[in-house]
Formats: sequence, C-alpha cells, structure tokens
Amino acid sequence: MPLQKIKWTQWTIALLLAFPIAIGLIGTLLPAFQYFPPLGQDTLSLDPWHSLFEQGEFYASLKLTLITGIGAPILALWFSLSLLAWGYQRPFFRKIETLLSPILAIPHAAIAIGLLFLLSPSGWLVRLFSPWLTGFDRPPNWISVQDPYGASLIFALVIKEMPYLLFVMLGAMKSLQASDTIKACQALGYRRFTLWRKVLIPQLYPIIRLPIFIVIAFSLTVVDLALIIGPNTPSTLAVTLFRWFNDPDLDRRLMASAGAVFLMLVIALVLGGWELAHQIFSQATRPERSNGKRSGLSDNLLRSGVILGLMSLLSGFIALALLPIWSLAKRWRFPDALPAKWTWDNIDRATPLLIELTSNTLLIALSATLLACFIALLMLETLRRSTHYSTNKSSGYNKPHLFDWLIYVPILLPQIGFLFGLHVLLIYLNLNGDLCAIIALHLMYVLPYVYLTLKGPYLAYEENYLQEANRLNRQTWRNYVRIKLAMLKPALFTAFAIGFSVSIAQYLPTLIAGEGRYSTLTTEAVARAASGDRKQVGSMALLQAFFPVMIFWMAQYIPPRWTRWRLALKTSLRRINPRRNKKCSA
Amino acid sequence: MLSVNAFSLSLDDKTLISNLSFDIADGHVLSIMGPSGIGKSSLLHYLSGTLPDTLSATGDAFLNGEALHTKPTQQRKVGLLQQMPLLFPHMSIIENLLFAIPTNIDKHNRQQQAQNSLQRLGMPDKANTLPKTLSGGQQARVALLRTLLSQPDYLLLDEPFSKLDPALRREVREFVLTEIRRANIPTLLVTHDPEDATAMEGEYLELGEMK
Repeated sequence: MPLQKIKWTQWTIALLLAFPIAIGLIGTLLPAFQYFPPLGQDTLSLDPWHSLFEQGEFYASLKLTLITGIGAPILALWFSLSLLAWGYQRPFFRKIETLLSPILAIPHAAIAIGLLFLLSPSGWLVRLFSPWLTGFDRPPNWISVQDPYGASLIFALVIKEMPYLLFVMLGAMKSLQASDTIKACQALGYRRFTLWRKVLIPQLYPIIRLPIFIVIAFSLTVVDLALIIGPNTPSTLAVTLFRWFNDPDLDRRLMASAGAVFLMLVIALVLGGWELAHQIFSQATRPERSNGKRSGLSDNLLRSGVILGLMSLLSGFIALALLPIWSLAKRWRFPDALPAKWTWDNIDRATPLLIELTSNTLLIALSATLLACFIALLMLETLRRSTHYSTNKSSGYNKPHLFDWLIYVPILLPQIGFLFGLHVLLIYLNLNGDLCAIIALHLMYVLPYVYLTLKGPYLAYEENYLQEANRLNRQTWRNYVRIKLAMLKPALFTAFAIGFSVSIAQYLPTLIAGEGRYSTLTTEAVARAASGDRKQVGSMALLQAFFPVMIFWMAQYIPPRWTRWRLALKTSLRRINPRRNKKCSA
Repeated sequence: MLSVNAFSLSLDDKTLISNLSFDIADGHVLSIMGPSGIGKSSLLHYLSGTLPDTLSATGDAFLNGEALHTKPTQQRKVGLLQQMPLLFPHMSIIENLLFAIPTNIDKHNRQQQAQNSLQRLGMPDKANTLPKTLSGGQQARVALLRTLLSQPDYLLLDEPFSKLDPALRREVREFVLTEIRRANIPTLLVTHDPEDATAMEGEYLELGEMK
C-alpha cells in the first residue's frame, strides 16, 4: 500500500482501538463503586458490592457459570483433540474438515434453537422413540433442556466450540511437521493414540493456548446461548447480570456493574487456574511420556472422546436439519417423527417480518465487515512496514506487535458490563439507538477475526510482485489493488466470510447499541426462542444460518475460479462484438 | 549510455566493492561476475534505487549524462529482470503484457504492441492463457518482453537464467540479447555463470574478494 505517514496511521488506529476498550472498562468500573452521574450518583462507595454479595441469586448463578464455563471448554478440548488424533491426515477426515467451516459460520443461536427442537421433551429425539419404545403419546414431563444443572447449555457450548478448536488445531498442525513425527513414532511401534498423547498433543497445546482462552472466556460470559438453552432460575451469572442491567430499578444497574467486574475477575482467575492445572498435569504426565510403553490405558480416553465427539457433531447436524423442517411444517403432532402436512404458509406469513430482519441484518453485517477489512488492511500494512516487523523478520522471531495485544481485548472481555459501559458513551454522543452505533460495536467484534485471518497471508505475500508492478507502471494505488489485493483474493474472501458470520451472530451489541430499535435475525430469534412458536422461530434461525453458510461457500468457491470466469467472460464479449472490442479490450 | 563512477559499497565497516567504474553503451550488455555475497545484487539495487538502509554506497551514476543516483525509483524508468519471472498469476499473458505498456499510448496501439510481442514470443495462441500454463523458459521470455514494453531507459538483469534448465538457457539468452539490441538500451547483467557473460557478447567485469 503506497501509504504515507506510517507512524501516524499506526498510532491513530491503536488509539481508536484502545479508546472504546478504555471507555467500556471505566464505564463498568466506576458504577461498580457507586459513581454514576447519569443516575445522580457521584460519591464512591462499596455499596454495590455489598448488595451484590447479599444476593443469594449471585452465588447460585456464579456456581452455574463456573460449571458450564469450565466444563464446556474441557469437554470441547477433549473431544476435538480425540477427533484430531483419530482422523488426522486420513482420507475420510478431509470430508469432515471441509464441513467444519460452514458449521463455524452458523450463529450459535441457530444451533441452540435447533438443539431445543432436538432435545426438549417434545423434541425430535423423544418423538423418534415414541410411542413404540417409550409408550409416550404426549411429551413427558422431563427437564431435558434448560435444565437446572446447565447440562444442555454445556452440550450446546461443546457443539459450538469443538469445531472451532478443531479448525484452529488443523491450522496449527501445519507448523509442527506432524507427518514426519507420526511416521517416526509409528516406526518405533507406537500406537496412533499413544503417540498423539505422548508426542503431538504436548507440542500442539502451546500453539493453541490463546484460542482455548477465547473459548473459556466465551463459555463463562455467553448471554444469547444461555438465554435460549441455559437454566433460568437461577440463570448463569452473565444472564443474571443482563437481567439486572435491564431492571427498571436503576440501583440494580450499579449492582450489575459490580457483578460485571466480578465476572472479569472470574475470567482472569479461571484462565490462571487453567494454566496452573495444565502445568501440574504436564509435570505429572512427563514421566509417563518417556516410559517407553507403546500403548496405554489412557488411550481409551481419546478413544471415547472420538465417539462422544462424533455424537456431538451428529447432533449438531440433526439440530440444524430440524430448522427447515419446522419452518415448513403445517401439522406436526407429538409422537410423529415427521410433519403430517407440509406448507410454505409459515414462511409466507412471516415474509414481511423476515424481509425487515434480513435487510437490517445484512446491512449491519456487510458494512461492519467491509469496514473491518479496510481497517485490517491498514493495520497490516503499518505492521509490515514498521521497523519492528522488518527487523524481526530477518531473525525469524516475531515479537507480538501492539496491535496483537489490543485486538484480543474485546474478545476476551465479557460483553456484559463492558457493552453497558460503552452504552453510556453512546448516550453522551447522542448515538444511542443509532444504526451507526450498532455497526461500530459490531466492528469491534468483527475486526479481531478479520485481522487475525488476514495477518498470515498478508505478511507472507511475495512483495516482489508489487514492486515489479510499480516498476512497470507508476500507478501505485491502482497496482496495490489490481496486483496485491487481487492476488490475496482467497484470503480476503475468507476473512470477509468469517467477519460476516461473526457479525450475524452478535446479540448483545445489536441490542445494547440499538436499544431495541433495530431487530436482526439473531435478536429476534433469541427473543422468540422460548415463545413456543417453533414454526416462526425455525424460519428465523434457518435464515440466520443460511447467509453465513452461503457467504462461506462463496468464499471458498469463487476465488479459485474468478480468473477463469473473468477471462471466459472477456472472450465471449469479444465474440459478440469483435469490432468494438478491438478498440477497448484493454 | 549508462555510466557508473567510483562506486563503493560497504556493509557496516566491511567494504564489499570499492571504486568501481564502468560505461555501458546503448544496445550493449556489461556482465558482472563474482561469488555470491560480494555485493553484485546490491549494485543493481543501487542502480534501481532500492538499496536497503543497512548498506551504504557512494559514487555517481549517469544515464546519458543525467544524474541517476539522486532520483527516486519511480522516476528512473528502470527495467529489472530477476530469477523469478514474477508474471502476475491472476492475469492472462496478454494482460500481463498490456499492464506494462505506458498509458499515454492509445488503446488500439497498446493492443497492437501486445499482439506483436506475442508474435515475437512465438505464442500468438497463448494470449488468453494464464502464466502457470507456460514453461519456465516461456515465462522468462514473457517477463523480458513485459519489462521492455514498459519502455525502460536501461535494463538490469539479476541472474535471470539461473533457474532455467541448461538446454533452455542458450535459447533464452539468445532471445534476450536480440531483444536488448532491438530496444537499444544499456544493460547490466549480474551472474555467477561465465557462460551467461560470453553469450551476451559484451564486456565483462569480475569482482573478487576484498582483502
């Protein structure tokens, strides 16, 4: 990029990244200590903390948050490591790999709604076995979803997180020269699971530590998923705080801020505890790794992880398949496994609403993602040209840049609290309820993923091509777009698809910045999930899943064919109008 | 005529090249040989204006009597050909050629020039194919013609033949020499292969290790 003023650009972007983070943090911290001028509170005190610790609900919620927030990442990590060890570099596993990115793209709310349709007492699983096996001709009185222990929430989290971890692991494997290791260990007579356990997983873990931390932070703080499929009396801490923030009694807001600060502490403590546990675990298993045994009982841990992981994946797919079935069902009485009558009526009836929701959703997602791509390119260009990077490049060691730290903060901080802190800023700026504010908050969550996806390919680009282009003609900006960006098309498309799907899935940012004035497919689907109108909720969740999957598919399908299509189009135009073309085919 | 006067190059305190002077007449090729790490490529970077900050160079360079070393790269009108042909993989051969032709030429003539180049390359049927379908030798020739189509005032060749297999090398060298004479511009070739130098039918300089 023929960009001038590299230093200036770099610091401007860094400030723009840091500003909302700082405001969000301050906006959470001060109210937690009773300082909240909009409510006339301007003396610091510990009252919000006292009232927080007096709430019985707080302790019950905290317990649930710890169970689900620690349980889900452990299970997701266990299953994904098992699946990787079982299938890595095997032909059939490639098929599962290609299925991963569409699953990743599907908003978690859609998956949770599908799971609701699958697992609830009147869900498809019970229908499948009724009445011939169970004898039920009406739904049993079970609590199989939104159970008070958070089991269904953990299950939903695992289904969402396992593909993500698997995806990250597959990327990380490239830097491990794994196939050589596998061959060497197999030559020594090690069984597949044993060599993964003793050799590969210990090498893999440090590379994927940060993604695991993101998964843990997500599990501890998720709101939309917990609203749909989590326990409700009491609910997880994030949901309880969400309710307090929205309570008409404004004092509760101060208590909720204290709770949000507490939740940040919980994240820090859990991450610290996780690392400590990992250290202890790896110390404890160290002697076992070199004991020379070619197989071991612990292999069964991975073996069972494979079965459980495959079952989770399968339920995820069935859950998604239930969305279109419900949206097309006319009559679907309880023990029937499939609807008795099909119809387009549900969709027809919902069309005006769906069109409004879809256009809001797409407008927000497309603007936020395009902006994110543009900003990510600016960031990466300043990163590439900063002396910091070029001096480190030759030594082969890449110290993380300032951007690499800043960019993770919004993902690691709990949205609850942080976003309410930002909301105060929006009110001051008179931007609350504005579409721009929604897009800006989405941008904050889309940018990290776009930046991280683009970073590798952008920095690895063979700069010689662009230099050659600039020697051949002097239109440097045009060359940047026509040569560099055009050659980075696959990475740009993928980054766009990932950013787009992140934006579609956002619930709290839309709700808080929009103050309910703009509904998207996600906010509406979450709000209506519990309504019982499965036909309408199914249609919304279906659309919510449809767009990201389609964009992902296009991002994989179009770039490799683009040039061929472009040239074919050019040739056919020439054939239609050979004379005119002679003059303007350039 | 490209002239270099009293060129010296040093890395930190180590002198790599000292007091090198030469002239290259239009349509002629001067070959510079020497072992790797001697600073041959840095001389090319100096002439094209892309010398990294870590190296320090002194001396003057003139093109037809006009100072070259004071101009920024984009004003030098330099053509550079490296080991990698650097054909843009997402553009067809003719698009690659058209990319280099200056925009002040009208569209009809641009098209004409590109077609002529394809004829000279002996691949008029390859206009709409992608670079990856060409052989290494064909790619090298397209890259040379693309560079020449941008109408450079002088040409720098950085071991452009070393990646080709020996059978192809002779053919490509011959093609390069013909095209340079046709374009009638001074050319500097850097190589470690003495055969490259003899094939260019010009003078050659050998750089040795500095004691």
